[in-house]
Order: sequence, then C-alpha cells, then structure tokens
Amino acid sequence: MAGITDLGVGIGWRSEIDLTVERLPGVDFVEVVAENLHSNVHRGHLPESVTLLLERGIPVLPHAVSLSLGGADPVDLSRVEHLGKIAEAVGAPMVSDHVCFVRAGGLDSGHLMPVPRTKDALDVLVANVKLAQENLPVPLALENVAALLEWPDGELSEGQFLAELVERTDCWLLVDVANLYANARNIGTDPGRFLDEIPLERLAYVHVAGGVDHGDVYHDTHAHAVLPEVLGVLDELCSRVTPPGVLLERDDNYPSDTEIASELAAIRAVVDKHRG
Amino acid sequence: MVTPVTSQGTRLSAEEIGYLTAGPGRAAETALARLIDAGLVRVSREGLVSAVHLNNHGAMTELERRTLSYARTGVRFDQVVQSTAYSTEMKRLHQHLLDQKLMQQPRRRHEGWWFPLVIAIVLVLLGFSTPVFFLGVPIALLFFVWQRGRKAVTQAGREALRHVVATDRVHAVALYGFCGKVNGRAVGDLFELSQSIVKMLPLKQNRKRKSSSDGGGGCGSSCSSCGSGCGSSSCSSSSSGSSCSSGGSSCGGGGCGGGGGGD
Ligand SMILES: [Fe+2]
Repeated sequence: MAGITDLGVGIGWRSEIDLTVERLPGVDFVEVVAENLHSNVHRGHLPESVTLLLERGIPVLPHAVSLSLGGADPVDLSRVEHLGKIAEAVGAPMVSDHVCFVRAGGLDSGHLMPVPRTKDALDVLVANVKLAQENLPVPLALENVAALLEWPDGELSEGQFLAELVERTDCWLLVDVANLYANARNIGTDPGRFLDEIPLERLAYVHVAGGVDHGDVYHDTHAHAVLPEVLGVLDELCSRVTPPGVLLERDDNYPSDTEIASELAAIRAVVDKHRG
Repeated sequence: MVTPVTSQGTRLSAEEIGYLTAGPGRAAETALARLIDAGLVRVSREGLVSAVHLNNHGAMTELERRTLSYARTGVRFDQVVQSTAYSTEMKRLHQHLLDQKLMQQPRRRHEGWWFPLVIAIVLVLLGFSTPVFFLGVPIALLFFVWQRGRKAVTQAGREALRHVVATDRVHAVALYGFCGKVNGRAVGDLFELSQSIVKMLPLKQNRKRKSSSDGGGGCGSSCSSCGSGCGSSSCSSSSSGSSCSSGGSSCGGGGCGGGGGGD
C-alpha cells in the first residue's frame, strides 16, 4: 500500500494525553478514535493537537469502533461516511475498525463482540465490509478482537476466518497482539498458528496494549502496562514479517510520560531486533 | 520564600495561604497547582486533568488526595477545582483555620452601617452644649461596630499573610490564582497552561490584603523579596477582569477562584 509502508512506532492519540503525545520522543504516527472526533472536522474542527501533529508530518490514522461490520443489522452508512470524512480531514492513507459487532437488534452492547466463525457469519461480514469499502475514500484495515468466550459451532479457526475475509474483500489486517495474547490465554487460540494462517503480506500495522491478570483470565484493559508476554507475541510476529507499523494503545490510567516513553522504546526494541 | 508564621508559631501551608487570600476556590487551585508541579497530574491542551498514578499516589495533603481521586480519569480543569472547593476536606481546612484563629465566622455589613457613626458624631457635638448627650455616644458606637460587620480573616490571619510572597509557582497560585499575574507574568504561563484553560475558572477577587509595605517599615531593606507581594506588578491583569488598587497601602491582587465563594 503506497504511503504506509513504513509507519514506524506510534501511539493512540487521546485528548487526555495530547501534550504527552506531542512531547514524546519517537512517535512516528498516531491513531485517532474516529467516533471521538466531531463530524465537522472537514471544516477545520480538528483538535489543535492533531493539527499540530499533522503539521509536523506525523501520519494520523482514524480508527473506528462502531461500524459493527460483523453484525446482522445493515451497516450504518452515516458512520461510514463520518469515518471517511475524518480520513480526508487528516489525509489518512487508510482507516480501520474491528472484526466484531457492537449492535444487535438495535441495541448497543458497548463492547466489541466477537463474530461467530461460521461460513454464514463470514458471508454477512464480507457483505458489510464490501459496502463499507465502497463508501470509504481510503482502504480499510480490520482488527482481530479479544474474546472472553467462543461462539459454539465455529467452522474456521480465527486465522482461517481472517484469511478468507481478506481474500474475499481485499481488506487489510490490523493485528492486535494483545488481543491475540488474550485469546491465547482465555480461549486457547494458538498465536503461532494464527500468524501462520493469516496473509501477512496484507498486514497494515500492529496494535500493542496493556492488560491485567484476574485469576485465570487475562483482561485486555488498555489501562495497565504492556505484559512481556504480549511483547513476546510481537516478537513472534516480527520474526515472520516486518510490520509496516506498531502502535501502542492506552485508553485509561495514563501513566507518566516517562513510563509511556519506555513502553514505546520496548516496542521499538522488539521491532528493531528483527530488522538487524 | 519566607515561610509565614502565625502568632502561635504555626507555619502556613500554601493551601492555607490560598484559603486566607481568596477562599476555598483558591485553596483548591493551590492543591491542583502542587500536583501539576510534582507531575502527579497532567493537564491536556483542552484542559482535561487526569491523575498520573493510581491510588492517589504522591498526595501530601487531604485536598491533594481529594483532587487526585476526583481526577482519576480526565475531568475538566474547572470541575476539578470546583469539586475540591466544595469538598468535606475543604471544610476541614476551614475548620482548622478557625481553630487557629486565623479565620472567624464573618458577619455581614449592614446597609447604612455608617449611620450610627454619624449619630455618635452628632451626639458628641450636642454633648458640648448639653453633656447628657455624651451618654448616648457609647451606645451609638456599639451599634456602629456591630453593623460594620466582621471579615472572615482575623487580624492574626492578615498578619500571617502579610509577608507571604510568591517565590515559587505553587505559592503564586495561592496568592494570585491560576488566572492572576505575578511580576507581570500570567501565573497560568508558569504551568504552561493556556489562557483558555485558566479562564474556565470563575473570577474570584482576592480578599483585601495589607501590603507588606505598609504597617511602618515592613519593607525596608527586604523590599526586593516583598515586592512581589504587593504593588502593581503583582496585580492581576485586566484581561482576567480583576483589578488592583493603585494605592500602596493595599493590594487587591485579583485572580480567580474555582467557586466555593463562601467561607
Ligand atoms: Fe487494538
């Protein structure tokens, strides 16, 4: 994909840490949550901090959480249009959302719910993704989510499911290694097999996030430090492919600038190790 | 800075200085200022305040603890100040100042408070011709004293504040507020806070405060250190709408307080 072959290491821009993101050394790109930005961004209503980052030449990638592409309900085209407007406002080379549904029967779950890995569910997802792609000005990347439980009667592994999604829609993949680790811990996904099965040549970039153990369950909180095990999954991924970009997601309990900087440095160290 | 010491020999904390200077809003601003100063909270470009650590880590006073727990996730700058200003922790600080006799329960000044004084003067004048009128003078004066009201800060409180100067940015907030000025510089600038953030705070004038240059030679050779405590250089800018009396005897170094107007 032209223009995003080397995004580098980035961080999720959040309004609470806007100054931190601006100050941090080694932020090569940022992601903004599309739903958090006002739809009149095209009229110059971007947050001052985002404008400043753009002026510095830092790529800003819109990330959506509400398209609900895995849902049986028809895609809400106004949300797709909003995402597209933000992509244009920030001059983004691509946008992203998740392989999940957040609404069913008109009700909002408030969570990114995993899609049943059946052929039927895949057909619905593919149709929704194609519709979204037709209405977006830039390519779409889709992210694997963390699941606390699996739907019964799954016909495909998560890797196979994503591989088929890419084949049928030509979408890109946003691999969240923390979600992958969460699934390995909570529902027994094999990260190695997942990475073997997905088309790594369609990897757009990678998410890294923190979480916490609650007994036997790992919670992907985005509010705690990144576990070494998650960096281990990143290491595994980097041994197979050089990711175009790796981005740290932190959504709450923002630590000091120093701690965030050291998490970014740890991510960069893993990426650089494989670059030789 | 010269740490102000009360008549009982107690040192005033920055929060106490803030409270005595402009009430609970200013004390709340002061607590927040110390937390920003210590890197224990961050303030975003749009004025969202959030604690940097969990569990109120780093708090040194009750007000700081209260502020940190309220700002665990991003909360607007003015709301953080308001919340602390109206907290039970703030009531305890007020009680402490009452116990220290630095503050007292204020009494409102009656309308026409000056009238008994006029009566007293008239009675004195009449007394020269008819001495029985002198008997009414003490009664009129008593009325005058009562109706004149009573300030929230005691004489001891005002004395304790007299030599306080802003030699660090936390004390600058205590004395002038985030939207005040110190030595011609906006206090908000000392914290890299934009005017759009500090102006979220409602305007609150300082209580009238005796300047260190009055009271007979309070300044003298040490004027360089007390200079910032009074005089025009320390007074608030007109942009924040506050004013400074031009006379040397008192300085109403304006500023703002985050609500909690009452004492
Ligand atoms: Fe993610």
